[in-house]
Amino acid sequence: MCEKSLNKSNDFKELKVILVGLGVIGKGVLKVIDAKNIDLFKKYGFKISVVAACDSSGATVNENGINPLSIIKTKEETGKIVNHEFGVQKGILEVIESVNADVVIEVTPTNIETGEPAKSYTLKAFESKKHVVSANKGALAVAYSELMNSAEKNDVMFRYEASVGGAMPVINLARESLAGNNIKNIKGILNGTTNYILTKMEKEGLDFNTILKEAQELGIAETNPHQDVSGLDTAAKMVILANTLLGKDCTIKDVKLEGITRITPEALKMANKSGTTIKLIGEVSNKKLEVCPKLIPIDHPMNVKGSLNVAMFDTDLAKDVVVVGRGAGDIETSSAILSDLIFIGNSKKCND
Amino acid sequence: MIFLDLELKDTPGELLKALEPISSAKGNIISVIHMREERTEDGRLPVKVVIDKIDDEELSSIIDKLESIDVIVAKINEKRRKLDLDVVIIGHVVDTDVRDTIDRINEIGLVLDLDLSMPSPNVESSAKMRIVVDVEKIDELYEEFDIISKEKDLLFVKSC
Repeated sequence: MCEKSLNKSNDFKELKVILVGLGVIGKGVLKVIDAKNIDLFKKYGFKISVVAACDSSGATVNENGINPLSIIKTKEETGKIVNHEFGVQKGILEVIESVNADVVIEVTPTNIETGEPAKSYTLKAFESKKHVVSANKGALAVAYSELMNSAEKNDVMFRYEASVGGAMPVINLARESLAGNNIKNIKGILNGTTNYILTKMEKEGLDFNTILKEAQELGIAETNPHQDVSGLDTAAKMVILANTLLGKDCTIKDVKLEGITRITPEALKMANKSGTTIKLIGEVSNKKLEVCPKLIPIDHPMNVKGSLNVAMFDTDLAKDVVVVGRGAGDIETSSAILSDLIFIGNSKKCND
Repeated sequence: MIFLDLELKDTPGELLKALEPISSAKGNIISVIHMREERTEDGRLPVKVVIDKIDDEELSSIIDKLESIDVIVAKINEKRRKLDLDVVIIGHVVDTDVRDTIDRINEIGLVLDLDLSMPSPNVESSAKMRIVVDVEKIDELYEEFDIISKEKDLLFVKSC
């Protein structure tokens, strides 16, 4: 935090945000903003003001700020944000371009193949000189360089902690807390669904399909679990880490990929006999970019259970650093988004 | 001085057998530390042998002789030469000629242990292998895994 923000002497009191996407994460962000705004003002001297929120039906826009809970209410009761008291029939790109705001929070559903529509929304925000906080790994995994170049060209910030590991600090931990270190290797479990399935298979000795079905019934696995179990979701996150933290320029096509669908209870028993277990591990280093099931010792710090995520950094100065946390969930992911918003708010305080 | 970390089978006479190639090459043995309370993961006994400095050619001939009598030279002067690694293989391991799979791995490293589980003829089986390999040959071994994996539709789950 800069000195200016500590003495709260400048006029900046409000970080104006446009929320794009009103699914589970979008609603989580609104809940967190509502719950934390008083604390934010006390601690940082500014609050977050939602000036627009969009879904595919249209938007609600009010440059004086909208009550976050009223947005959730309209969305839950009518399914469409256009029915809100400040509702307007405007397309998302038009809202991003025309509404006066500091930051666009991009939390639309992810598309790992095209990165759209998140990519277009993000680019439009940059062109409109707005910072972007994103949870969208699809756009980052397919168009990292294009997005970074545009952010740089337009002199705005692009923060995306929530795209990797949900609540678990990964990108900002490496970029800020481990600043100055040379990161040699990152490996981890970055998909809670596969970790849940493997943990259950190991514990109960049941086959992959049975556990997957159970996980779907419990809402832990999605109805279409392909991206999770094939390793694609982890691959997208590894690409983001490779590009952001190891200075690579790669896309999801460069990842050597193998999912967990072939893992059997017998294979897990075999692994257990020699003191190891099987986890879906993503790994990136100068020589490697891969996602595949691997054996790890039972007493290894990466042997985290259930749907937890874990990341292990091998660095030149700090040596090994391990972080464990919840990789999904509306409030958990919103925690990462909020930390990015506070970072931007603090920077704005310093610069204004 | 040269420090050798050896791994011996736990059977009578193994230590004597391991020292013979050193003494017959006129290597002067300074000390032998027999660590009976420790075990490697595959049940071998680690033994540290310290000898007077000899030239590289003589040293490599001693190592060749030791390896020919199934003594693993794990480290020389604390530098790891050999790695023990586990791999779990999933697929039709037996039907795709397990002998050939082992032979091909043995050309690069050495399969020490094989454990097989075949739940039923229609279901994919699993195998666990412990392989000892020269540190510098790991990449070659992993490349061979990839080749065998594609050819025989087997999944190799490697150590992390």
